[in-house]
Amino acid sequence: MAAPCSRMANRPLWQFITNVRRTGLKHTGVRQISLSSACRAATQTRSKTEGVPSPWKLYGAVCLQRLPVISQERNPIEDQFAELMHQMELERSLLSDHEQRLLEDSERMTRKQADNYDSDEEEADYGGQETITAQDQEDTWEQKLKHFQPALRDRDVGGTPLGSVERCLGDSLVLLVQQTVGKETIWLLPQAQWEAGETLRQTAERGLSSLPEADFKATFLGNTPCGVYRYKFPKEVRTERCVGAKVFFFKAFLSAGSASQKEPFLWVKKTELQGYLKPPYLEKVDRFILNL
Amino acid sequence: MQWRKLRASFALHSRVLDQAGLLFRASVSVQHPIQGSLAFSNERQYRTMPTHGIGKYKHLLPKEAPKKKKERQQMKQIKTATDAEYGTLNVKVSGYDMILVEHYSQYIHNLCNRLGVKVAESYALPTKSTEVMVMPEQGTKMYVDAILKTHERIVQLSQLNATLCPTFMEVLLKNQPEGIQLSVKLHTEADYQARFKARPELEGLMAQMT
Repeated sequence: MAAPCSRMANRPLWQFITNVRRTGLKHTGVRQISLSSACRAATQTRSKTEGVPSPWKLYGAVCLQRLPVISQERNPIEDQFAELMHQMELERSLLSDHEQRLLEDSERMTRKQADNYDSDEEEADYGGQETITAQDQEDTWEQKLKHFQPALRDRDVGGTPLGSVERCLGDSLVLLVQQTVGKETIWLLPQAQWEAGETLRQTAERGLSSLPEADFKATFLGNTPCGVYRYKFPKEVRTERCVGAKVFFFKAFLSAGSASQKEPFLWVKKTELQGYLKPPYLEKVDRFILNL
Repeated sequence: MQWRKLRASFALHSRVLDQAGLLFRASVSVQHPIQGSLAFSNERQYRTMPTHGIGKYKHLLPKEAPKKKKERQQMKQIKTATDAEYGTLNVKVSGYDMILVEHYSQYIHNLCNRLGVKVAESYALPTKSTEVMVMPEQGTKMYVDAILKTHERIVQLSQLNATLCPTFMEVLLKNQPEGIQLSVKLHTEADYQARFKARPELEGLMAQMT
């Protein structure tokens, strides 16, 4: 076998620094992931003298995922439980500094309005009145909160097309591409054929970058493939040399990217994959896509 | 050697007891019973008595190392990356909400335990307070609007398998709560030294020496 499986162990691991930020709703609608390699050792490619080439064609495919941008909606049960826990915590908690200040101020006000108010005594205790009471602060904060407009959680109100990256912000989406394989055009994960002298991961990267009119900046997490799909060609196409093809899948996360809103791309959730992929293909792909 | 002595002492004793049996019994009957028992418990048996060393057990227990005083904290060895595993990695979780930060770091720790990744250390860095100053449109004086506290927790992993790494990272990223920053870095000695407080007197003395 032209050694793609053992590339993982062959290639020395390079040190990496990953910095992931999860901010609120940003314009890109995409979580920023930056990955930099501190030092990359030279990749050693093992060249084997092959006696007989294997009858399988090799492809490297990439499963590009866009991570969720906002938190998921809660179930009704989760909602109820969260409320219950919040109430319990509130009842068990102690007063904070701010709340104590509020109480003291209100007590002081009632004492001031009483008939036997001795201002000298009071001031001796407190050393001069504070100009801003806690109640005033609370009022200013409430005013500020009224000015703040949070963005809408659900941008799908208008019905964003399936090709948009900003589709379901609470779920992770997978990229699907329409490519011609053999005679048919089908939806599948972007793939490219393996050429001699490159690792399978580079094949996957090439497959992603060679997509027309799209520049996705993806972060590959490791050198290991996450899945394999093996299929035999239909009997007419089969020759001695190539019996079928093996597709190796690699996982990657979208760090930054834009694509024109053209047809060939689809961002789908795991539950929607069924409508687009062929059953045997879907079976293998389903195994490694996590539905978290 | 000891066995022979015991046997000899047995033989001796049997003869002695035969001869002085009556005397022995007489002495016991004369003494007060309570005193007699006390006397017997305080006295150690003579070496020739067969019951010599009858209560000894310490020689049967395994030897314990002598208790050392607590040594000065040494840095744990920083492991380097091999072909199949990463070296010592620092997973840093930071954010403004302490509850979320703590819970997330606990989640990472538990996940590592379940997946079999060795956790070398799990510690917290000191909290950093950030003052948000607001400048009003009219005046020039800035006043404090709010104080934001940034909490940081670090989980140090020692041997993360390269095959496990993508899945591990994916689970971490998908479960990241809102408002939390996650960062994975290699552990360096500078990171370790940054945890200690600066000692100004010591540094002053060292500067004086050089």
